[in-house]
Amino acid sequence: MTDLSLSSAGASSLPAYRFSVGETIKHVVLILGALIVLLPFYVMLSYSFKSPAEIMQNTGGFFGLQEAFRDDYCVKLGKDVADCMVTPVIYNYTTAFQKAPLLRYLLNGAIVTASIFFIQVLVALPCAYALAKLRFWGREAVFGLVLFCLLIPVHAIALPLYIMLAKLGLTNTYAALVIPWTISVFGIFLMRQFFMTVPDDLIDAARMDGMSEFSIIWNVMLPTAVPALLAFAIFSVVAHWNDYFWPRIVITGDRDLFTPPLGLREFKGDADGDNFGPMMATATIIVAPLIVAFLIAQKRFIEGITLSGMK
Amino acid sequence: MSAIQMRSIEKSFGETPVLRNVDLSIRAGEFLTLVGPSGCGKSTLLRILAGLEAPSAGSVVIGDRTVNGVRAANRNLAMVFQSYALYPHLTIAENMKTPLRLRDLSFTERLPFAGPLIARDKHRKLQEQVEETAKVLRIEGLLNRKPGQLSGGQRQRAALGRAMVRKPVAFLMDEPLSNLDAALRIHMRSELAELHRSLRTTFVYVTHDQAEALTMSDRMAVMMDGDILQLGSPEDVYNNPQDIRVAEFVGAPKINLLPGEVDEAGHARCGEVALSRVAAGAASGEVRIGLRPEHLAVVERDEPGALTGRLVHRENLGADLYLHLAMADGKHRMVVRTGVHESGHIAVGDDVTFVRKRGEAMVFGRDGKRLSLSEAPRTSIPEVA
Amino acid sequence: MTRGSAHWWFVGPALFLMIVILLMPIGIAGVLSFTNYSLGNAGADWVGLDNYEKIFTRSTYEKMFGATFRYVFVVVPLSVGLGLGAALLINSTKRFGDLYKTIYFLPVMAALIAMAIVWEFALHPTVGIVNSTLERGCGSVLETWSWYAHGCERGFPLWLTDRDYAIWTVAFIGIWQGFGFNMVLYLAGLTSVPRELYHAAEMDGARTAWDRFRLVTWPMLGPTTVFVVTISVIRSFQVFDTVEAFYPQGGGPSKSVYVMMFAIYEKAIQQNLMGIGAAITVVFLAFVMFLTLIQRWLIERRVHYT
Repeated sequence: MTDLSLSSAGASSLPAYRFSVGETIKHVVLILGALIVLLPFYVMLSYSFKSPAEIMQNTGGFFGLQEAFRDDYCVKLGKDVADCMVTPVIYNYTTAFQKAPLLRYLLNGAIVTASIFFIQVLVALPCAYALAKLRFWGREAVFGLVLFCLLIPVHAIALPLYIMLAKLGLTNTYAALVIPWTISVFGIFLMRQFFMTVPDDLIDAARMDGMSEFSIIWNVMLPTAVPALLAFAIFSVVAHWNDYFWPRIVITGDRDLFTPPLGLREFKGDADGDNFGPMMATATIIVAPLIVAFLIAQKRFIEGITLSGMK
Repeated sequence: MSAIQMRSIEKSFGETPVLRNVDLSIRAGEFLTLVGPSGCGKSTLLRILAGLEAPSAGSVVIGDRTVNGVRAANRNLAMVFQSYALYPHLTIAENMKTPLRLRDLSFTERLPFAGPLIARDKHRKLQEQVEETAKVLRIEGLLNRKPGQLSGGQRQRAALGRAMVRKPVAFLMDEPLSNLDAALRIHMRSELAELHRSLRTTFVYVTHDQAEALTMSDRMAVMMDGDILQLGSPEDVYNNPQDIRVAEFVGAPKINLLPGEVDEAGHARCGEVALSRVAAGAASGEVRIGLRPEHLAVVERDEPGALTGRLVHRENLGADLYLHLAMADGKHRMVVRTGVHESGHIAVGDDVTFVRKRGEAMVFGRDGKRLSLSEAPRTSIPEVA
Repeated sequence: MTRGSAHWWFVGPALFLMIVILLMPIGIAGVLSFTNYSLGNAGADWVGLDNYEKIFTRSTYEKMFGATFRYVFVVVPLSVGLGLGAALLINSTKRFGDLYKTIYFLPVMAALIAMAIVWEFALHPTVGIVNSTLERGCGSVLETWSWYAHGCERGFPLWLTDRDYAIWTVAFIGIWQGFGFNMVLYLAGLTSVPRELYHAAEMDGARTAWDRFRLVTWPMLGPTTVFVVTISVIRSFQVFDTVEAFYPQGGGPSKSVYVMMFAIYEKAIQQNLMGIGAAITVVFLAFVMFLTLIQRWLIERRVHYT
């Protein structure tokens, strides 16, 4: 079951792709699993294409028949019925953008995730460099603190953080979305481990060339750390783009600050039967950026997400 | 204990042939070494014998049983791996017990906790077998340690112990000494040879080190480019290499090779110097003449047939002294074995005159095959040396 | 800036943020958990251990612990087991391994809140694809399964609103979302198992896949397993998105899905009972830190073989 080489060695002398019972059973199990995993993605995409009637009656296959239907809301506004006939897929996606400022949400999501990552690097990189390559009094204590802080999941201390931000009057601001994540102890730890592998000679050479410690970080260490940084970027962006708990706590009511998950949640809150299609369209739009990026650069993504495996 | 036959074994990985039609018959109870440079296919041949790799063509016969298609676990062979491949989570005793447990105990008897209760006697017997083997290898004191806590040499013994604990048809060893330091490696050579004598089981031993092959084996097979070039006793392979590649591979320092040619009379000659023996039946043409360092002797004064070279390096091994000489033609170097007492006074830069001992030279044809020499029927050229 | 003080410029910001954002809140939570503080009030009364007493005596919190532990104890073993199973299967097939890997990893990438909403549709009692698919199986051999026959007769369960099913359905979604992550970690672990150990096992007479698994694979995956289990425990303790999406009010049918993170959110943010929320936070942190420390201890003690 786990030994590739024995079986593949045996097979190499035989015609390739021979039928084998064991292999077939494995694929049956894996395909069944894949179907269950893909089910909600199928539902989401399919519903985002369909008309309300098709969704209700579960007809129309994957894409729906795309027969025009009557938009009741449009009729209610007193327009002519003929003008209110819409094609489901167009209706669903346009409604998604009209009913709520979805573009704004997406923009907020981008702003928040980008600033979080940027500040995390800005804070973590110098600290990691100092911990890895500089000798100073208290270094072990600082590193011990980093190791201790790795134990604390930020979501778990959301409540006192919320109180602190509320006291400062910062709830319902971008700052509230970003501040708790500005310090990534994991990022410090990761970068430190990476810098430990950079030879001291490289840094000494840079010092001989007259570089300040500051420019060593940005001109020498940063470029060497790009692969690790990229993995960390993926790790960070995925976590914060998808985060729902924290925005839910600090953003109350002000739609202009909603991140995509919050926007979707609000959509759901006032959804009635007719809105299934547009809502699934919204969900698709929110989920799509990361999924598409993942499909394009799978290796890097899996690397980045499993980074936490290094803890 | 039974003989092993490997017949017309072929193996290729994708398009690359690794073994080309190899025949090998291993006698019951012998210590056979497969030796050759890396990539020659020796490990693959061993793994085919073990059953870890399937041959592309050919058959393997152990005793009178053809084992093609029989999986490794059912061939009753034991193997010692280069990395030792000890299970890191088990103690040495448990490591050594594993092959016994898997073969001699049923599924229920192997269960943790319940197993030892159901079959207490069997478990005790296994424990005794392990302890016996450990005693032979002198690792009794290590039985409760884990591999991670042992030195390389100790791990090597533990791996041997795991192989020895049951009575396999043959022991297969894949470069078992290559991860040890030099001193321990040399020590283990004699120990392995001794072990072989006391166990009287077939050993098939793979190495890239010709010294190991020469010192330990009953017979050695020199492999190159997926072929066995020569199979014979170490003496035979060393003294009578049948191929120029064998001659070059076996022996350290390397054999001296000089370009030469065969004249109409069948005498091989190198420049002015000719051999007295005749390469019978060889077509005239270019040949290479091989002389091992010990076939050359330093002489004080110029003699007929003597050669001269300038000393560029003295390699003093204590008992022996090897002189590395640059020949006058500027292209060739020769190594001469001599003693420290006789030649200790020679310094780098000196000219050294030397002669060859009679009847030792080997002549290889253009295809690299050895040409057989015989005494000339009549002396046509003045005899030299 | 001189060489001598450069390090404090480098470490300073991180140190400051660590203390203010990570350490101070723990202290604040600790202090508040002994008070009846609420936002907007000028002061707060010291109530001693009242909040903790409530947590460990009141039936609401009993339900909270019940739901949390039920969720954790279902999601962790199953998502770890399925992750391992998927990794082993994918590792042993000759073809399409990468495709399965990609598919199983998709839920890890998708925003859980979005997928929760989709699942809610899929599990909808009347229009949902799950029950309508199940209904199609009625009349087939599946009906010999008494649960299935019952479903055909009286209708299939209301997955999300039936008290007997709700927590398990939420747990199922947790497994669905998390096992791909575990699978990827196990796949990484499998690549680091030395080949020669399998060959040694074969020579030692390990004939069945199970023997090889017991002798080599499972022990060699020890460190991976410890890590995967801890990560899964911590993640499942923090479950929130699905619960909030399905049950914005009150934690599900009869509070059967009233998990800790939701309790903190409901008590502190919605009801402004900061004291009790802080107490739950402290209990929660204690759990999580305790588990992580166990993991580190295990990794150092047992599973490192050298």
